Amino acid sequence: MTDASVGRGAIRPLGRVFRISPDGPPLGTVMTFLTPALLVYLVFTAYPVLRTFYNSVHILHPRAADEYVGMQHYVQMTTADPTFWVAVKNTMIWAGFAPLLDVGIGLILAICLYAKAPFARFFRIAWFTPVLISYVVVGILWMWIYNFDWGILNGALRAVGLESWTRAWLGEPDTALVAVMVTHTWKWAGFNMVVCLAALSALPKEVLEAAELDNCNWFGKAWFVMIPMIRPTLVNLLILSLIGKMKIFDLVWIMTQGGPLWATETVSTYVYKRAFQWQTFDLGYPSAIAVFWFFVVLVAVMALKYAFRQRDRLEY
Amino acid sequence: MPHSKAITRALLLIAISLYTAFSAGPFAWTAMLSFRTTSEISKAPYAWPETFRWQKYVEAWTGSNYDTYFVNSMVITVLAVLVTTVVGAMAAHCLARYRFRGNRLIYFIIFSTIIFPPQITIIALFQTLVDYGLYNSRVGLILVYVSVQLPLTVFLLEGFFARLPQDLFDAARMDGYSDAEIFWKITVPIGMPAIVTTVILNTVHIWNEFLYAVVLISDESKRTLPLGIQKFMGDQLEDIGMIATGMMIAVIPIVIVYAIFSEKLIQGMTAGAVK
Amino acid sequence: MKSAIRATALVAVTALTVMPAAKADTELSLWSHWADQGSKIEFIEAGIEKFEAAHPGVTVKPTWYQKNPLFAALKGALQAGQGPDVFYCEPAQTEYIDNGFLLPLDDHLEMSNIEGWAADTWRHEGNVYALPLEAYTVEIYFNTEMLEDLGFDLPEDGQLSAADFKKLVEAAAGEGITPIVQGAGDRPFPGAYLTHEVLLKKIGIDAYGDLLAGTKKWSDPDVMEALDYMESLIEAGAYPRSFATMKLGESHYYFYSNPGGLMLPMGSWYTSRAFNAPDQGGQPEGFPLGIMQAPALDESACPECKTANIGGSFCVNAESPNAELAAEFLNAYADPEMGNLWLQKVLVQTGIKSDASTVSGPHAGYFKMLEAADKNNTFFQGTPHAILKGQCLETFKQVINVAFPAGQVGAGQAAQMMDQACSAG
Repeated sequence: MTDASVGRGAIRPLGRVFRISPDGPPLGTVMTFLTPALLVYLVFTAYPVLRTFYNSVHILHPRAADEYVGMQHYVQMTTADPTFWVAVKNTMIWAGFAPLLDVGIGLILAICLYAKAPFARFFRIAWFTPVLISYVVVGILWMWIYNFDWGILNGALRAVGLESWTRAWLGEPDTALVAVMVTHTWKWAGFNMVVCLAALSALPKEVLEAAELDNCNWFGKAWFVMIPMIRPTLVNLLILSLIGKMKIFDLVWIMTQGGPLWATETVSTYVYKRAFQWQTFDLGYPSAIAVFWFFVVLVAVMALKYAFRQRDRLEY
Repeated sequence: MPHSKAITRALLLIAISLYTAFSAGPFAWTAMLSFRTTSEISKAPYAWPETFRWQKYVEAWTGSNYDTYFVNSMVITVLAVLVTTVVGAMAAHCLARYRFRGNRLIYFIIFSTIIFPPQITIIALFQTLVDYGLYNSRVGLILVYVSVQLPLTVFLLEGFFARLPQDLFDAARMDGYSDAEIFWKITVPIGMPAIVTTVILNTVHIWNEFLYAVVLISDESKRTLPLGIQKFMGDQLEDIGMIATGMMIAVIPIVIVYAIFSEKLIQGMTAGAVK
Repeated sequence: MKSAIRATALVAVTALTVMPAAKADTELSLWSHWADQGSKIEFIEAGIEKFEAAHPGVTVKPTWYQKNPLFAALKGALQAGQGPDVFYCEPAQTEYIDNGFLLPLDDHLEMSNIEGWAADTWRHEGNVYALPLEAYTVEIYFNTEMLEDLGFDLPEDGQLSAADFKKLVEAAAGEGITPIVQGAGDRPFPGAYLTHEVLLKKIGIDAYGDLLAGTKKWSDPDVMEALDYMESLIEAGAYPRSFATMKLGESHYYFYSNPGGLMLPMGSWYTSRAFNAPDQGGQPEGFPLGIMQAPALDESACPECKTANIGGSFCVNAESPNAELAAEFLNAYADPEMGNLWLQKVLVQTGIKSDASTVSGPHAGYFKMLEAADKNNTFFQGTPHAILKGQCLETFKQVINVAFPAGQVGAGQAAQMMDQACSAG
């Protein structure tokens, strides 16, 4: 609680001394609120990130001077590395579909709970449980589910006579990516539900009551009233989900390590392979991929924000 | 009309039940596996446990230094989440409430680092920690977790705080509230649904975090639970029954925490709706 | 501004950091793999006791990891100058040597107690950089009862011709028995075991070395003959359907317990899993275990060839202030008595001079069988995943280890992919 008490005591005196402009907020106030965050940020986030930018134009020798190579890594990556482009393609497919799925399912679940489904409390916990489980556990669990010999998916198919549909879901290039994507959505839909539910609960009751008076059914109410009103939340969730997919790593690493035949290779797994598995201490090349990808994701996020920008601000 | 309403309701219930089976089924199945031995499981993977072998939990706990890992995980998670929440909420409040030059720039810079994959920045982070004498220390790990979770926390909270009606704050200022009081007495209580959401999310992330924990800590006595769980994860032996027990031990505390906090979440949401 | 932030952070940090406890006179730190392999931990600890008894005032503090977390932790620690004094290493990790992280050990270890071929694995430009502790051979374990039931008889030397081996595979598959149990789900090598044994025999040690060094093409007719033969086995259903996702531990259990299979090609560290108690995933009591030779194609250049390699080794951090002492600690293991202790406890070969006849107890018989299986072999030192690098290694992992044996790409395409990745870099 040290940070909090510092915040409380220091605001007033500083606030009286500095002002940015006559009608703006006092600089002291702003600094008091921001400094703890910025301090942690500068030391533990900004430096490693800047260091990555630096690394991306060097070849590193841990016990000798770094060798400046300019754009060499970037050129190699974009022109002479087929694996990189496979990783980009897979990540793009993932980021293109999964956010809609995550947020869509989350929203529907939230509306179900908001509509006072029976046993709402039980469902809320049951649906959220996957979010709580670590990737290691999720990965192992779903590898069991997809297991060819005794996994429940193939078991169910055999039980209904679809023996010919059974396969090693994670082992075949055609199905591996989808199989991992389903697992990831399974894990995160509950999170989207909780956030949507929080946003729905914060809506003023009067608006919904008014809709009720207009004889709106539930679907109409959800589509025409609720969704537009929690739109900023939905956009934020989409952005978060998009970023999550663009840097997806853990689950893939546990379940397939990018295989079979690079069918589930993502940009992050490839970065990790190049940094930790290629028997080198040179972080230059993987850093270049990380930097390049950073800008790609940034553009994607800004495009998304622009596409969903609020044309007329909803006030309530 | 009542007839079709009943049908809709029935369909809704069926859909809800199916989704519940999908989302909670695997977890329930693991719970069943956790009470059975591997040879029992290999005979019938989906059977109900004939005898509940509680001693497997005792074995898993005592056989692997779990008590140490557990305490470390608790301390680190609680402190890191606390600091992240306070620091993040302060920054988010400031960015959402005060108009000043550079506001959007700071927001953008903080936000943009969410994008960086941790697998690549970790080595530079390692060097930073060594410089400050924080390598292989719990304080260092806590600070790293705070910095990792901060951008997301600020992003989520800022989005929520910015949508709180300005009238509220104008009124508070009229009543003579100081800046600090506005933060603690208006933003925090009303923003509670969003704050609780970030608390849950941060707790889950930090409790389950593995990469930083393994690279930044080298002392057995300072290790956290995910490293202990790794031991059961079947790298050496394919002891499915024991893996399931280890998984349950990892998951149960966090489910309990959520069950408690989710009540708070609902209370918070109601409080927010009253305003 | 920056220095101000740094100063503030430092003050905050100093206030928060707990002061470290007082240390013993000298403490050597040891980071090792094998966190979950009790017998190896016991062996290492026996060496620590021996060393500490001979060096009063010096203690060795081991930290146990799983392999991948250990490698990640070492990568960070060595680069930041915080590496442990002694650490687990493998011959593939030449990047340690290239970057000068390892202390040459020739002058510190009693080299006459270390097998020459084992030391050579770690020899770079004349210096030996590690204690080569664990050694292994690639063997084909099989279920002797199943073989008999299928009506096959193994010759005295354990060697089947390529044609007979194929008939065996077809017979097993016809009976609904998985002929070759193998899983490539979590390791970069098991799927390639049999292919590479056949290949090594066919083209011989020198050509095989050239192939791995990238100077011989995979599309070479002799190489292709071996690959085509493997493809015919794969098409006959040699591998299980779950091959691509089956984990190493699972494949053991699949072979000897459930559902059971005919053969399991595996490094001779098979014992570290199979000789555990049955309820911990080990093989059942009285399991009819046998060892056979990999099939040799007609006109093979070296039908008696087999792969051997050094596995877990220990290195000394060149930057450590206690490097000399640390090397002396490792020398405690370079002793035939320790070699015998390793054999007895771990039941895998070792690079330290040892006498296999000293092994006693329930597994003495296994060791005699292993010795007999290896006595007429000529060994190629090194496995593909320890020799190949970069894109070539990555392609090997994805194609030769998984996609080819899983039937996802044919022999021709596999060879083409390997050539593309390996000749470019």
